[in-house]
Amino acid sequence: MARKLRIKISELESGIARIKGLEVSIGKIIEEWEEPEGPTPFPSLADLREWDLKLLNRYKPMYLPFCDLCCLCTFGKCDLSRDKRGACGLDMAAQQSRIVLLACCIGAATHTGHARELVEFLIERCGREAPLDLGMDVRIEAPITRLVCGIKPKTLGDLEDVLDYVESQIVQMLAATHTGQEGNNIDFESKVFHVGMLDHVAMEVADIAQTALLGFPKADPEAPLAELGLGNIDISKPVILCIGHNIAPGTGIVDYIEKNGLSGLIEVCGLCCTAHELTRYSRGAKIVGPISWQLRFIRTGVPDVIVIDEQCIKTDVPLEARRIRAVVITTSDKNCQGFPDKTKEEPDKIVEELVNGKIPGAFIRDPEKVGEVAVKAALKLAPLRTKFKALPSMEDVVEYARKCRKCRECERACPNNLPISEALTYAAKGDFSKLAELYDYCIACTRCEKACPAGIPIFSLIAKASERKMKEEKFRIRVGRGPIQDTEIREVGRPIVLGEIPGVIAFVGCANYAEGGRELVEMCEEFLKRRYIVVVSGCAAMTIGMYKNEEGKTLYELYPGEFDAGCLVNVGSCVANAHISGAAIKIASIFAKRRLRANYKEIADYILNRVGAVGIAWGAMSQKAASIAAGFWRLGIPVIVGPHGSKYRRMLLGRREREEDWYVYDARTGKKVYVGPVPEHLFYAAETKEEAMVMAAKLCMRANDTTKGRAIKLTHYIDLHKKFFGRMPEDIHLFVRREADVPITMKDEILRVLKEKKWKEMEIPDPTLLEEMVRRRL
Amino acid sequence: MIRGESWQKAEIPGPIKAFLFEDPKKLAVLIKRAKRPLFIVGYKATKISEEFNVIKYIIELARKIEAHIVVTGSLIREFENKGYSHIYLMPAMEVMDRLKDPNWPGFDGRGNYDLAIFIGFPYYYEWLMLNGLKHFAYRHLRTISLDPYYQPNATFSLPNMKIKEWVKFLDSLKNNV
Repeated sequence: MARKLRIKISELESGIARIKGLEVSIGKIIEEWEEPEGPTPFPSLADLREWDLKLLNRYKPMYLPFCDLCCLCTFGKCDLSRDKRGACGLDMAAQQSRIVLLACCIGAATHTGHARELVEFLIERCGREAPLDLGMDVRIEAPITRLVCGIKPKTLGDLEDVLDYVESQIVQMLAATHTGQEGNNIDFESKVFHVGMLDHVAMEVADIAQTALLGFPKADPEAPLAELGLGNIDISKPVILCIGHNIAPGTGIVDYIEKNGLSGLIEVCGLCCTAHELTRYSRGAKIVGPISWQLRFIRTGVPDVIVIDEQCIKTDVPLEARRIRAVVITTSDKNCQGFPDKTKEEPDKIVEELVNGKIPGAFIRDPEKVGEVAVKAALKLAPLRTKFKALPSMEDVVEYARKCRKCRECERACPNNLPISEALTYAAKGDFSKLAELYDYCIACTRCEKACPAGIPIFSLIAKASERKMKEEKFRIRVGRGPIQDTEIREVGRPIVLGEIPGVIAFVGCANYAEGGRELVEMCEEFLKRRYIVVVSGCAAMTIGMYKNEEGKTLYELYPGEFDAGCLVNVGSCVANAHISGAAIKIASIFAKRRLRANYKEIADYILNRVGAVGIAWGAMSQKAASIAAGFWRLGIPVIVGPHGSKYRRMLLGRREREEDWYVYDARTGKKVYVGPVPEHLFYAAETKEEAMVMAAKLCMRANDTTKGRAIKLTHYIDLHKKFFGRMPEDIHLFVRREADVPITMKDEILRVLKEKKWKEMEIPDPTLLEEMVRRRL
Repeated sequence: MIRGESWQKAEIPGPIKAFLFEDPKKLAVLIKRAKRPLFIVGYKATKISEEFNVIKYIIELARKIEAHIVVTGSLIREFENKGYSHIYLMPAMEVMDRLKDPNWPGFDGRGNYDLAIFIGFPYYYEWLMLNGLKHFAYRHLRTISLDPYYQPNATFSLPNMKIKEWVKFLDSLKNNV
């Protein structure tokens, strides 16, 4: 395998010349790796299209159009209703898939842009030759990169080649969405899968780079517990709030504080994934909460300085900051917010301009300078802001509530149709209980405020009524541990593949919950008690930490952080999702000893048929969540989303009654064998948490399960079904292959059902969808 | 509030919008014409009104028009032992996937349905399901939303209305079927 050779000389002075900033890229270097290269190094779409079509033949798109028109070119708007086609010739199905592809390109580009910035930042800081050391227990440092690209990255510089590939492929896929390119919906879906795969590569690059070089926990199951929740923020100190995903400016802040002996004197806290990274970087940093806590916290008036980097930041943060007289610093080219570029100015001058209000905010691209400016500004501003009240008084709440005209425009604007009007009626009479109840379900989008014709600051009223609740938000979360150890994979690989550990459930994604975050905690706890391996990341990981049991403990304090049955593993931020797909890939590599290098199809086929893993993105909101899900799909890992996830425009559903869809090859003989609908769906929006739990247990079943493993998985599926729906599932005959599959405790009941359904024994093959994996022909 | 406008304001429909039924008697005529009606009941059905027994209502109406009832989740327990045999459990997305398939044999093996009557889903979730059917099942299936909100992607919808008015509407509908 060949790669580019790049030489960079920052500064060289000799008798004959002085060279500065020289960078030369010469041809390629030869990859040294004893493992033979597989069939698809740095694959183009066409290299893996055949695999995609196999999946899409089984899991067909079911469209839920979010918009009936296309308005992407000046031929339009075109009405695509029913069987119509637009001026360009595209029909509704292809248009929906095209929009999904566009969303996934946005998501993957966002992670890739993030990864590129991080790698460049770390090269500046540590050099291109800095080793990617993820600790003693992680020898397969980059399973996705190895699998997709066929290279084994050893240094930071190696990651640049990986990103070159990802960027070029995303451009190709984005180009496919242009008018007059792809016209087939299934081919759009194949491209969605391709982009999802690229996204996981990019996420892996970002997280292994920062984990290796910023002192993050390295696959540590006993990563420390960090403080989580608004109530943990010490408001007597100057407060710097970081929002977003990119740790670079956060390192500048933490480093400046430490170098200048200010530790303990300033609160540094974060929202969204930047918060995860801050706690991975610094023991003193705190997490305020997930994405939906942005306005909750800002409107309390507590933050003095708000540093925003990239992704998922409410774009009206500068407006909100102005209302509380806080200072905003933007730090990313992707999010300048109209602020003047102050990167080259003296820090003290910037601080003066910010504190005196001469500039609305500063755009600073140098993380070190961000650190100095943020800290100095916070120290100066904090004493000036002590008497500032951001939330209305209780008297004001009553006054505002009396202005309500009962038009219910607020409810019509609310994504969750919350009973705001009723709560205001009570509040007008001095009863704030209904407003406070809304706090648990509100996602703080403030669409209600914008819709209110009377100008009532509804969200501020909800926040004021819930002030006590907010102050009591004091939790603990296990810091993101990064990768899964090779040794852990060795321990659990066998019981996962044989089905004795009933499954791996990953709770990932954003905080766009339809019925509040508690649902996520309930689901998580259910699977922990049932001894599934539970992995969490991103905003979901924070939500899971925001509820305590009667003893005042969060799930992180109750369950260990190992990758094992009945454990709760926080891998970290969004980009750490790569460690979840990476763990599935490592199972194939470490436990089953399948070749990893550039061998995507075989490994995905292995995971689809053997690794009982399911993702639940209960509050998925973003385009990144879409591309993350797509990366799991191509690996054969199903994803369940909450009801708002139906807005992703299409599901990928199997049909259990279509027997012809559920045949695989027996790799031992080449014979085609019916294995039942396992896993039944690839992408699925559940209406309720109960449905999601039952479905997740079902989707953990795999064709390769041993009889013991299948019996365990069936036990959980049936038990959850009975618990929530009060009856046996009607499809169990499709999952029982032999009598030995039947759980002993339910034997009589199940055998009765099997008899009614005229069940017949099935074969248990060595399953594969790939003809080339067949060892001996019939 | 405008009665024939999406309840959630941003859920703007496309060019094809639901026919608005203000008169329950006219809707009753239409429902009676269906040969294979199916009720689809979401988890919010019992949350629309505390006073109104929606389960009892659905069963009574289904009995009158010989409709099947599919419940998409936990509410299935509430439908048990009510003396009506054509009650099934299936998640909403799976029901949608089958409804759009003209060759689906239905819950009893006698063929797909010609009328799907929705009640009790989150507004946006139902909006999307109805839109999927509007575009991909329109040749063989018509849809009704019985929720107290205008659902533009149904074939036929009730208007946005207050709960008391809704209960009155449903009572009249049942009496005229």
